[in-house]
Order: sequence, then structure tokens, then C-alpha cells
Amino acid sequence: MAKRQKNDPYFIDFAHRLMQIQEMMARENIDVYLGSRLRTLSWVTDAFCPWRSYIVIPAEGLPTVFTFVIDAARVADESWLGEDHVLGYAPMGGMDQITQISDFIKDNLGLKKGPIGVENGMSNYLPEGNLTHYEHESFKASLPGFDLVNAHHIVDRLSLIKDQGTINRFREASRIVDKGHKAVKEAISNGGWKGMTETEIAGIAALAMRRAGSVWEWSFTGGNEIASGYRTGLAGGACTPATARKLKAGEGLMVDIHAMFKLALGDHAHNYFIGCASKRQLWHAKNFTDIVARTLKAYKAGASPLSIAEEMMDFAETRGFAEYMVPGFEHGIGLMGDEWRIGMNDGPIPYWTNPDHTYQENEIVICAMQYACPQEDIGFRYENPILIGKDRCEPLSKFGLRVEVIE
Amino acid sequence: MTGKVAYLSSEWRDEVEKRLRDELSPEKMKFITTSVSFNYTGCPGGTDRYLYLKTEDGVITEIKVGFGEPPSAEFMITGSYDLFSKVTQGIVSSQRALMSGKLKLKGNMVKALKLASLSDRINKIMSQIPATY
Repeated sequence: MAKRQKNDPYFIDFAHRLMQIQEMMARENIDVYLGSRLRTLSWVTDAFCPWRSYIVIPAEGLPTVFTFVIDAARVADESWLGEDHVLGYAPMGGMDQITQISDFIKDNLGLKKGPIGVENGMSNYLPEGNLTHYEHESFKASLPGFDLVNAHHIVDRLSLIKDQGTINRFREASRIVDKGHKAVKEAISNGGWKGMTETEIAGIAALAMRRAGSVWEWSFTGGNEIASGYRTGLAGGACTPATARKLKAGEGLMVDIHAMFKLALGDHAHNYFIGCASKRQLWHAKNFTDIVARTLKAYKAGASPLSIAEEMMDFAETRGFAEYMVPGFEHGIGLMGDEWRIGMNDGPIPYWTNPDHTYQENEIVICAMQYACPQEDIGFRYENPILIGKDRCEPLSKFGLRVEVIE
Repeated sequence: MTGKVAYLSSEWRDEVEKRLRDELSPEKMKFITTSVSFNYTGCPGGTDRYLYLKTEDGVITEIKVGFGEPPSAEFMITGSYDLFSKVTQGIVSSQRALMSGKLKLKGNMVKALKLASLSDRINKIMSQIPATY
């Protein structure tokens, strides 16, 4: 069990988080909370749980994590919970996840019936971790008398506003990402780009970020996303796992890199032209940097995704580049596993961001913009975690906003 | 000993204790402290039975056989008498019995992993006891 010091700038009061969950459970008459989403595991345990994992949170006392046995000892080592509260499941009689968790609720917690909060829903984000239909039905069958009720809103609500330790972790993850960008820029400058592939750039960034303290290029979109040439301009293309494509003079280069620091996520994209840029390319680039700068100014408490989208699309229309913009300007972010949807699940389209979500101070989102002109094989991406403030936002990555021409 | 003893009888228990003490030093037992109860269902005569083992710092301190409710233990392994007897005789491996779900384990799986090889050693010794099943 890793020790955590209160005077550590990255300290998070997990015991307090647990208490908040239990208070909400009590208010909603939920006897036990069975979390399965990666975001819930990260937010409560402070450990990365890459295997299918569950957390059983009782009405009082410490929660218990159930993860694949091959990883349980590591999770126990890294989390604030001791080894008695991180158990392994395995394909053995009585040790499978359904039997073990059901027995735990009945035998260890001594519950016979009542509501169990579970995490149901859907997500465009692959590792979200909602309970599957099979798991839901299996728990229902092995826990007769219990009522499985959807309760993910408890963790969603509590994790919305970031505490100081979380904010500091995000700042550090962004500082690390900036180191990656610096290393990439140095590597491709002065002709260094010649013969270089997208994957090599991804690796250069990864090495620099790991040296600076990152543990993982966390993105499920292929780690560091690097695109060159026509791949920068794929229509609506905001997902570009690096390929073996070589950089070419006269083409664009999109460097979208990711670092993870204590489960906080750095994510910043920077764009270049390789060798030279035409007047037309520079026109596109100016459109892009102008709208990014304008968008960053628009984020503050009280704004909403829709208000920002409408304002920015109006701006793009007046400048004649609206057709190149993806009309969304952010995605959600939290500790590992919390990505894409912003805020609560209270929008008109279930499990997608509510366009009228009102930003509050100390929310963190990724300001994300994609500019793509497929017919000209050109595009740019901006991503940067931003901390919402009362009258402004703080972009956490400080790498300068520009589209540079690399000689 | 001469002749065979009845499986799970007090004579068999005494022989298990003697052999385990003779053959498994605390070093070989990795100085572990644990307890395990093997719970037999569907025994001849229609009863449930158990075999309970306890170790402290690698020393076997308690071995019990009995009927009905087993003592509380860190690990509980439950299965049919028929299957357990085959495991004890070495006809079926405990691993196969567990992985096929025919034996059911309760306890901390991570700790159980550490004990798996010790369990095999104990089982091997028990399998060498001439017994009637």
C-alpha cells in the first residue's frame, strides 16, 4: 500500500471521497455500491485498474476492489487500500467474479436484501466499464432479494469539480506533455524530420515524457496520435493513431501526445508544416489558431458547450472556414477512465454531453478542436486540458499556440 | 503403520499429522500462518464432513476431521466427497478440480496463489497414506 502524505501537492483525500459516496448512498437508501467503471475505480482507489475490476462500497467502512488475480497485488500496492481490500478473482470454483462478489456482499457485509447501486449505461469511450448485460443478469441471479439500481450519478456528481490535488496532478501531466512537445520539435528541426515516420515521432515524445515522469501515453486512441500529410485532413478526423508513414516536405504534421501522472491525464496537440508552407496552407493555419485563441477566451464559469459552439461556428462562418470545423470544442476529462462526456448524464441524448451543461469553477475539460480540409489534404488539431475559472480558463499545457514551419 | 486406514477417520488424521510433521519442515512450509478447511459434501452415509488444517509460522498446529459444520478458516474449499477422495488419491489434480469449478474456494485468491504449491505438497503426502475410500 503506497503511503500518501497530506503535505504532498498531489495528495487527494480518498477517505473523504469515500465518505461523500457513503453519504449519498445513505440519502438514496443504497445499501452497497457496486462500481465497475474505470473512472470509478480510479477516482476511489487511486490505482490504475486495466483489467475488468469492480469496487464494492459498503454503507460504512472501507471499500473492497475485485480485480483479475494476476494484477491484484500490484493494485493493492499502488492504491491507498491494503491487500485485505483488494481481492483477486480467477477462473476457479468460487473464485469467479460473480460468485466472489455476491458471496462478499452476502457473507462479509452480511446483507440479505436491499438496493445495490450499479453502473449501467453506454459510452462511446471503449474502456468506460459499465456493467454488461451478462454481469447484470448474473448478479441478479446470484443475489436474490437484492434490487440492482443504476447509481453512477453518485460518482459522476462527486467527481465533477476537481480538488486541489487533482488539479495539481493535471498541471504536472501537462508540464510533462510540454516536455514531449519540446523533444519532438528539437528532433524534427534542422532537417531532423527527413526520413522520420509518424511512429518515430510518437516514440520520441513518449521517451521524453517518460523521462519527465509520465507512466503511460494513456490514450486508447493508440497512445500518441501523430498524423502527417493527408491524414491531418481526414474529414472530422480527430483520431489518428501513428502509422509508419514518412514525413514529407510541404505537408502538415499533427502531434497529439498524452502523458499520465498519478492517473491525471495530459493531452496536448501541436501542429507544424514540414519544410515549407504555401500561402493557402498558412491561411488555413491562421484560421485555426485564431479560432483556438478565441475559444480559449470563451471558457469560463457559466458558459456551456452549446454557447461556445454557437459563438465559434459564427466566427468561423464570418471568416469563411466553418465547413472545415468539427462543431464541438471540448471533451470531458478526469482521472484515468473518465473521458469524453462532460458533466452529468442529464442531456437530451442519453450518455452524451448535455450541450447546456453550465461550466463551474474547477471543472477540467479538454478544449478540443479539429480543423480538416480533406480536399486539400490539410488539417490541424488542438487539445489542451483547461481549468475552468470564474472569469477565464487556465490552459494547463503551456506550449505556444502556433503552426510552425519546420525547416 | 500396517494395513489401510479409513479415509477421514481419526486414524487417518493421526497418520496425516505424523507424515506432515516428519516431511514438511517450517522451511518447506515457508513459515506460513494460515488455516484451511476442506468441506466434503455427499459423504458415505449422507453426511457432510471436513478436514481442517492450521499452521503457525510453518508449523502444523492443528489437524481436525469431523462431521457437519467445519471450523472457520482463512480458506474454505468445498466439494463432493467423491471428488476430494480422487484428489487425495492423486487421480484428479486439485488444479483441475478448482479450474473446472468442481471444487469451490473461498478466501483471498491472491494469498491462495502463494499457497498453491504448499497445498500440492501436503496433498502429495496425504496421497501416500494407504487408505480405504
